[in-house]
Amino acid sequence: MTMATIERRAVLGLGGALAAGVTLAPGITLLAAPAERTEASAGRRWAMLIDSTQCTNSCTACTTACRKENNVPLFGEPSRDVHWIRKVELRDKDQRRPSVQVPVLCNHCENPPCVHVCPTEASFIRKDGIVLVDMHRCIGCRYCIIACPYKARSLVYHETRRTDESNPNVPIRSKGVVEKCTFCVHRLDDGQEPACVEACKKEGKGAMLFGDLNDPRSEIAKRVHTVATKTIRPDLGLKPRVYYQGL
Amino acid sequence: MIDEFAAIEGRSQGYWKLIAGMGLLLLLGAAAFIYIEVNGHGVTGMNNSVVWGLPHIFAISLLVMASGSLNLGSMSTIFAVKQFKQFGRFSAFLAIVLLAGGLTVLTLDLGRPDRMLLIMLHMNFRSMFTWNVFLYSGFTVLCFLYLWSMFQFPQFTKAAGSAAFAWRFVLTTGTGSIFGVIHAREVFHSAITAPTFVAVSLTSGTAMSILLLLASFRFTERELDRRLLFALRNALIFFLLLVLYLLIVEKFTKFYSPAFYDVESWILTGSYAWLYWGGVVLLGVLGPLAVLFNSNLGNQIGGIAFASGMVVLGLFCFVGFVLIAGQAYPMNMFPGYEAASIFQDGVEGSYAPTLVEFMLGLGGIGVSGLLYLLGIRFFRLLPKKATAPEGWDVAWHP
Repeated sequence: MTMATIERRAVLGLGGALAAGVTLAPGITLLAAPAERTEASAGRRWAMLIDSTQCTNSCTACTTACRKENNVPLFGEPSRDVHWIRKVELRDKDQRRPSVQVPVLCNHCENPPCVHVCPTEASFIRKDGIVLVDMHRCIGCRYCIIACPYKARSLVYHETRRTDESNPNVPIRSKGVVEKCTFCVHRLDDGQEPACVEACKKEGKGAMLFGDLNDPRSEIAKRVHTVATKTIRPDLGLKPRVYYQGL
Repeated sequence: MIDEFAAIEGRSQGYWKLIAGMGLLLLLGAAAFIYIEVNGHGVTGMNNSVVWGLPHIFAISLLVMASGSLNLGSMSTIFAVKQFKQFGRFSAFLAIVLLAGGLTVLTLDLGRPDRMLLIMLHMNFRSMFTWNVFLYSGFTVLCFLYLWSMFQFPQFTKAAGSAAFAWRFVLTTGTGSIFGVIHAREVFHSAITAPTFVAVSLTSGTAMSILLLLASFRFTERELDRRLLFALRNALIFFLLLVLYLLIVEKFTKFYSPAFYDVESWILTGSYAWLYWGGVVLLGVLGPLAVLFNSNLGNQIGGIAFASGMVVLGLFCFVGFVLIAGQAYPMNMFPGYEAASIFQDGVEGSYAPTLVEFMLGLGGIGVSGLLYLLGIRFFRLLPKKATAPEGWDVAWHP
């Protein structure tokens, strides 16, 4: 047995030991205390109801307000622009019903596939049911975009900068990170409605209604229980919290 | 036993040219990574409809091939085909280097690769990605143990080889399940997606092993018994038929239900039908089968190498089709309606790969190639000559 043979065996052994370390290290960190989550009331279930009959085709108040409130950038590249909420035009294939335009946004599902697939738990459900992305924990793997059936998530493809027009109360969107609607969680925690809903009431025809489904006195709880509503792709079993009326 | 194996000398001009070539690919990959890191993924062809592109095709293809390259080792350790024992070290080492190349590309394409370690600090065990982190690192450990046992502790080779063999099936099932479990994507949501990945790993791993063995033995002027190559050819035929079977069963099952007519018709006749028919079916399965079943070509080393090359390219086409077509197919959010928006709702996603993505993918091949070349130079991975016993022959010839 030569020295070279021994050294090579040592290298092989060291390689195996390193690989073993890589495998075991994650398991050891499982013993670490879980990170703290933002506190929110577990008794609440925020939800949105969109009345498609009241949503006018030319109105973009909700999308504009969202963009302004949350510093959502437009890069001028349609396939790479970031959209937290968008207007989707729907034409009946059988032409029995008139075309409608409805806003589509993150549905803040009870069983969100984006949260299920996120490897770092950057996507998580707050106690009040809002699905959020921890932008400091997202590694930009984009698996959540693949998994979301609502096309509600966008990767930020370019660098963004804070400008005089930026909202100082929310961060600018970070390059390489996946972004989506937060139901304007910062406003909710201040007792305000999401920016899109507020804009729809002021500038539109009040097609968007927001509130706590768990509060039987809330307008949204009453409407969801009294009028015919639909959710997008209920067959997937995700239990989305954005309801549509008039579809 | 030790005398049966020898590291290559690695002093020839050809060896250093290969090292330089692979080093160049590695540098191209590094340059591409830095360029994307500085400028963002806007410099790639990826967009918010097709978020995984060419780098992922390279990465996943290498990972799938890594699992399959363990075939040669398993043939002797598990199935007691003693003639292949001499390829066990090569097989386990190849699995490790291909895995390293694939994981390099996968990691460097992250939007925030600097946060990679977070994946080990915050684990979500519902995520297939998290499972794959354990599967990849576990596979590396087992291949090292398998390799180590073959070098030093032959009494443990059976145990280590069996564990690696079982793990590789789970590993590739995990890779296929990254796609198969996603309900939102009609093209690849299927219970048969993962088994198809396993079958494709068997074909591509065997094909890559054939190509590398032929090249390594020819360049080092070592003897490689043709009968061993014929045995690998027969194994490759069997694996190819398995892939063909799974492809047919999937199409049969889907076309039986009217609910899948739209998506399946799109697969077979839509924008990416050329990749399905030309790449997956013709290049990846039927073409190699035609060559290998041919009584002339199938019995020639050149013919077997040609078919193996087609199989490897077919793997890239298969992964490319699953990824790109799977994302490009519009999501059916409002059944019964035609949807349109400024976010490309209701239309096919478009994707045109850029040079920088290609360079990043090549970087992964550079990593694998460089590690392989260094491995056979510094370790006794390859037999001095690969022979089969007198009077032994494969059961069937075309």
